[in-house]
Amino acid sequence: MANRALDDLVVVEFAQMVSGPMCGKMFADMGAEVIKLEPVGAGDEMRAHPPFPGDVPHPEKSGSFLYLNTSKKSITLDPSTSAGAEVFRKLIVGADVLIENHQPGHLDRIGLGYEALNALNPRLILTSITPFGQTGPYRDWKGTDLIEFAMSLTGYNTPTMIDDPERENPLRAPGHQAEMMGATAAAAATMFAIFHREATGLGQWIDAPCWQAVASTSKIEMAALTYAGVPFSRMRGNVATGLEPLPCKDGYVYTLWAADSHYKALKTLLHNPPEFESEVFDLLVGRQANDDVLRPMIRHELLKYDTEYLVSEGQRLGLTIGPVFTVAQAANHPHLRARNAFVEIDHPVAGRFEYPRSLVQMTATPPTSTRAPLLGEHNAEILGRLGYSLDEQQGMRAAGVI
Amino acid sequence: MALPLEGIRVADFSWIINGPQIAQWLATMGAEVIKIESQVYIDIGRINPAGMADRTPGPNRNGFYHALNYGKKAITLNLATDKGRELADDIIRKSDFVLECFPIPAANKLGITYDRIRAVKPDIIMISVSLLGKTGLEPAGWVGWGPMACSFVGMFDAQGYPGGPPRQTGGTWPDYAIASAVTFHVLAALRHRNRTGEGQWIDASMGETVIGQIPEWYMDYFMNGRDRRQRGNRDDVMAPHNTYPCAGDDKWIAIAVRTNSEWEALCRVMGDPDWTRDSKFADQYGRSRHSDELDAHLARWTRKYEHIALAHQLQQAGVAAGPVLDSVELHEDPHLWEWGFFRKIDHHEVGERILPNMPVHMSNLPELNYSMPPDLGQHNREIFGGLLGLSDAEIKILMEQKIIY
Repeated sequence: MANRALDDLVVVEFAQMVSGPMCGKMFADMGAEVIKLEPVGAGDEMRAHPPFPGDVPHPEKSGSFLYLNTSKKSITLDPSTSAGAEVFRKLIVGADVLIENHQPGHLDRIGLGYEALNALNPRLILTSITPFGQTGPYRDWKGTDLIEFAMSLTGYNTPTMIDDPERENPLRAPGHQAEMMGATAAAAATMFAIFHREATGLGQWIDAPCWQAVASTSKIEMAALTYAGVPFSRMRGNVATGLEPLPCKDGYVYTLWAADSHYKALKTLLHNPPEFESEVFDLLVGRQANDDVLRPMIRHELLKYDTEYLVSEGQRLGLTIGPVFTVAQAANHPHLRARNAFVEIDHPVAGRFEYPRSLVQMTATPPTSTRAPLLGEHNAEILGRLGYSLDEQQGMRAAGVI
Repeated sequence: MALPLEGIRVADFSWIINGPQIAQWLATMGAEVIKIESQVYIDIGRINPAGMADRTPGPNRNGFYHALNYGKKAITLNLATDKGRELADDIIRKSDFVLECFPIPAANKLGITYDRIRAVKPDIIMISVSLLGKTGLEPAGWVGWGPMACSFVGMFDAQGYPGGPPRQTGGTWPDYAIASAVTFHVLAALRHRNRTGEGQWIDASMGETVIGQIPEWYMDYFMNGRDRRQRGNRDDVMAPHNTYPCAGDDKWIAIAVRTNSEWEALCRVMGDPDWTRDSKFADQYGRSRHSDELDAHLARWTRKYEHIALAHQLQQAGVAAGPVLDSVELHEDPHLWEWGFFRKIDHHEVGERILPNMPVHMSNLPELNYSMPPDLGQHNREIFGGLLGLSDAEIKILMEQKIIY
């Protein structure tokens, strides 16, 4: 059954790759009709991105595209042509939200900027997701996920616990986390705008930059400077109570021993090795000051035990400890299976695969995914609804408008 | 003109980062967020040494708390007492949302479970944020903090240098990272309730949110059985695509090249050195295949330049580049100030400070609710007196009994 929470909303998505499509996916999986506009010809650039089944590229088989575009409809459209712009404007008249992720100014240049759209439909919410935002000196900078993430303080601090800054260059998080942060902030802001519109009848323009969104994930590190006056350091020893994957007999575990009770539990878990019996380690300040002594001791002891013992017994003792799984291990974990964290979706070209099911679980209106659309799959349906005859559609196809 | 959530009330039992970051969206957008704290179990954000103003302790002086709790109201209520829990129920009866991030044993003890809360307020929308969800098998009962969710679902294994050990993503990932995604679904639930009268339980697993945000890894596993593991900064398509050392101590620039014209622009900025004419770097496929060699060449060049100036120069030439900013540089960044990312506050205990705003601009809203981060128990009288209708004398007794505490 289709989700009912947003089933009265029509969202037009004029976006490619990650940020705009992820935002659109969130609306689509909650029941909104999301009409995705793809470039004529190759479609969304993400269609060319791996993974592909068997590593054979095919525009209908990109795993990234298929995931980011579940539950949507696809039409191919070139809004920079006059006929294409007319279709675009007709869509906007009937839309609640337009999601786009072009460089600032692009919509204006093709005559479809916020003022023009607002004149067509004052109830429209325009959600613009960009690397750096619509104003400010970097407005026209080129951004990619790597750039946006690297410039955030979180980027400076990834990976954590650095030993050798020469050798350990800053890394971006796996995947496209800056773009994901921009997408989810934009989705939340768009929902707030929908509430505003329900009260006032008026839409608005949302400026949702990915860099600012990911920079918001380092509030403690910012406060360290602006409150405590201590510039944040990415070196080990800055926070000395665990906080990194630590090797054990058959893999890695993740734990911390900040609280005194946790340290006590850790000692019990490791069968109270005699060298741990020093008052120096019993208090947090002592553990922090002597991290260079204590941590190697803990690392040494952990190697004697396997993940299963350390995690189950550690958790029983009240220690915050968990396994460090690979994606394959997690994907097969009985807990995630018991929660139905993955859903099988069939696709006529790509085939039947499991997908991550949803960002959160909800009891009454759970996000629900149906397969991603084929390129231009809904051209006839949408253009027909807008009043274009089959002849007109044929002409637009011949002219490369759709 | 009102803010979008004006008239919505949140009984907020959450603390530290993940719940407060969700509540901050709701509070800045106009909801009345009643943050239920207690001196018995104080929010770590109020006492964490990292954010203490001028390194002086005090529950109202901490930037960790301030950055995550502006726009809210704060009360103190001792939930370890029967009367405390009763008063909490009175607040819940007048609320639209309950937000909590207790581990299961604590939630059961305090009665903050959906089944019980729903009995108190049938159309409540309850938001639970946990490591790995509150149903399922043994891991549902684990204690832990945010990053453990990343380690469970493979994100830390994927976060590392190629062939190296798993590493941790910065910024206490995913505590902040899931907040906007959860907020979106919370608002969808509110809309559903407004239309149908039906409440619900949002069981947000930080682990599952992260899974949904690293689809490249999961889809590769589901499609090909491949465990991708660590990739450093390598991209599926772009090269060069890395962070490169610059002049100075621990200074870096990120550079990402997708098209041939961007590559040619980068070569021009470098002064077209001979190595760039090697045929193996002539197209995107070749650059990607020989990315290690390419990176070594590039690093020898970037090392001579200041990271921020070089990023400007590359951007002017049409190359995607950005400086890796440390905390001082981030707070001095002209773009963030001009865009309005930071705000200056003048707080009665800590004076003038800088805090980050919400990371979106909305053209048609009044100014968001950026009221001062509340002192511990600052709104006790307003909530217990005004909202619940207790008399001053009753409040005084409850304070003496350490129930409002």
